[in-house]
Amino acid sequence: MEPLLVAQGLAKRFGTLEAVRGVSLALCPGEILAFLGKNGAGKTTTVKMLSGLLLPDGGSVRLLGQDPFRNPGALRHLGAVLEGNRNTYWRLTPLENLVYFGVARGLRLFQARRRAMVLLEEYGLLEKAHTEVRHLSRGMQQKLALLQALVHDPEVLLLDEPTLGLDVETALRVQEKVRALAQGGKAILLTTHQMEVAEALAHRIAIIHRGRIVLEGTKGEILARFAGNHYVLELETPPPQEVLSRLRALGVEGEGPFLYRGDGEGLWRVLEALKPLPLKRVARAEADLLEVFLKVVEHA
Amino acid sequence: MLDLFLVELWRSLLMLRRYPLELLGAVVTLSLIFYLLFLGARFLAGPGAEFGGKLEAVLVGYLLWTFTLGAYNGLAFGLTEEAQTGTLEQVFLTPYGPIPLFLVRNLAELLGHALLVLLVALCLMPLTGAKLAFPPLVILPFLAVLLGGYGLGFAVGSLALLYKRVGQLLGLSQFLLLFLLQAPGEGLFALLPLTPGAALAREMMAEGAPLRPWALLLACLNGGAYLGLGLILFAQAVRRAKATGLLHGY
Ligand SMILES: Nc1ncnc2c1ncn2[C@@H]1O[C@H](COP(=O)(O)OP(=O)(O)OP(=O)(O)O)[C@@H](O)[C@H]1O
Ligand SMILES: [Mg+2]
Repeated sequence: MEPLLVAQGLAKRFGTLEAVRGVSLALCPGEILAFLGKNGAGKTTTVKMLSGLLLPDGGSVRLLGQDPFRNPGALRHLGAVLEGNRNTYWRLTPLENLVYFGVARGLRLFQARRRAMVLLEEYGLLEKAHTEVRHLSRGMQQKLALLQALVHDPEVLLLDEPTLGLDVETALRVQEKVRALAQGGKAILLTTHQMEVAEALAHRIAIIHRGRIVLEGTKGEILARFAGNHYVLELETPPPQEVLSRLRALGVEGEGPFLYRGDGEGLWRVLEALKPLPLKRVARAEADLLEVFLKVVEHA
Repeated sequence: MLDLFLVELWRSLLMLRRYPLELLGAVVTLSLIFYLLFLGARFLAGPGAEFGGKLEAVLVGYLLWTFTLGAYNGLAFGLTEEAQTGTLEQVFLTPYGPIPLFLVRNLAELLGHALLVLLVALCLMPLTGAKLAFPPLVILPFLAVLLGGYGLGFAVGSLALLYKRVGQLLGLSQFLLLFLLQAPGEGLFALLPLTPGAALAREMMAEGAPLRPWALLLACLNGGAYLGLGLILFAQAVRRAKATGLLHGY
């Protein structure tokens, strides 16, 4: 599929600090890219270059084939929740904010109004439609920030920590919405420090470290690669001492659930050693994203 | 573009309605400043002193000043505030581009400024006993002054974008503006921003003089030139701000 947003070799330095070094990304419709990295890794800097707010020192950005720096009209196709920003006017109500930003993003006045009502309804903010934003709770403000990015129905969404400061339930609801938006065909870049959110949502993952992308691929591919040949075994009852020592000889680790680091052939030898004890579970160990992240960032 | 104008107008009217005390405060402050100066001058001149046509001329200059003030510092204040509260980057995401958006926004805020000037005029005329004529054509030199005011506004807006803390500078330069609006509109003075239009408006309102077309043309050229200059500076500043990452608060 044609990517909607393509960045090539983006570089940015602030004084002597090379904040971003040669970052290339592509976002396809229907796809969520989790953009992960430690504090100060260069995520926000990259997002700002992608949205035309920060001029790269090198490299290029193409939004539906157009350069947003040369041609601001391309921004019609982009919506962003920017980190650490309020993103909306505090002295206006949610409805007024959405109408204002809808028109500022290129909608006609009547379209913006209709769209604002639909979104407020859909995201459960209708009863606060006429309350000034400064009187809303933080979670509601954050939700409104997302709506503000959606109001003109852009094809590309850049979400820089959209679930920051949300309670568990609201965060889950926002997660669901983000997933639904991707299913509806939007291309989404999501930065977050919550690995479980990234793991739940992402189709592809890119990890940035000190301004460089150190790992990129589909979620399945990455998790499989890091899982390697590890197996988890669980028994119904603790094994007798002699079985345990046989297991140890085969290199099995762990006490409750046992961990075997080896290939499928070795696994059969382990199973042989266990015979005829009742098995509860044998499974290939899965890496989780947190593990992958920590490994990659440590070794980079 | 029309929709953008309408929505900006709507936003500025909402603000006026929601925070009427801000307008009221401005009316009271601006009226009070002039009234106190007026009382002081009368005290110095002694009882029974007559200012003749001078009072009217000074008052017109002052009203023009209140009018231009909004055009002059509105953008800089807005940019500073929005950079701090974190809406500026969202505004910059507009497909219209920031400069057309701010131009439209300026235009939309005109109504609020006009209301302010009108209220200040209505306060000060009875207080000082000044008699002003309001020939409809006086709107033309006002507009010329306004163009120049926007030009200067974009120039200080550039500074606000790049250096954030321009409050002090704005405060001081407002008085420079007062000088420009009271200066004679002839000779070399006509090259300064705002002066030719202000001089023409003063003639018309204080002396009831007719509109002089050549003077108006000069005033418009002057205003247009400074507006162009301001826009060029602002475009440069936007580029600088985007290159150095200055669009947000810190
Ligand atoms: N406008 C700026 N001027 C100077 N330095 C900056 C600017 N913006 C970012 N930096 C620096 O660039 C580096 C990358 O910052 P960035 O905000 O991109 O990190 P991040 O990955 O978003 O981190 P976080 O997870 O904390 O949000 C940091 O060292 C930061 O201090
Ligand atoms: Mg960040």
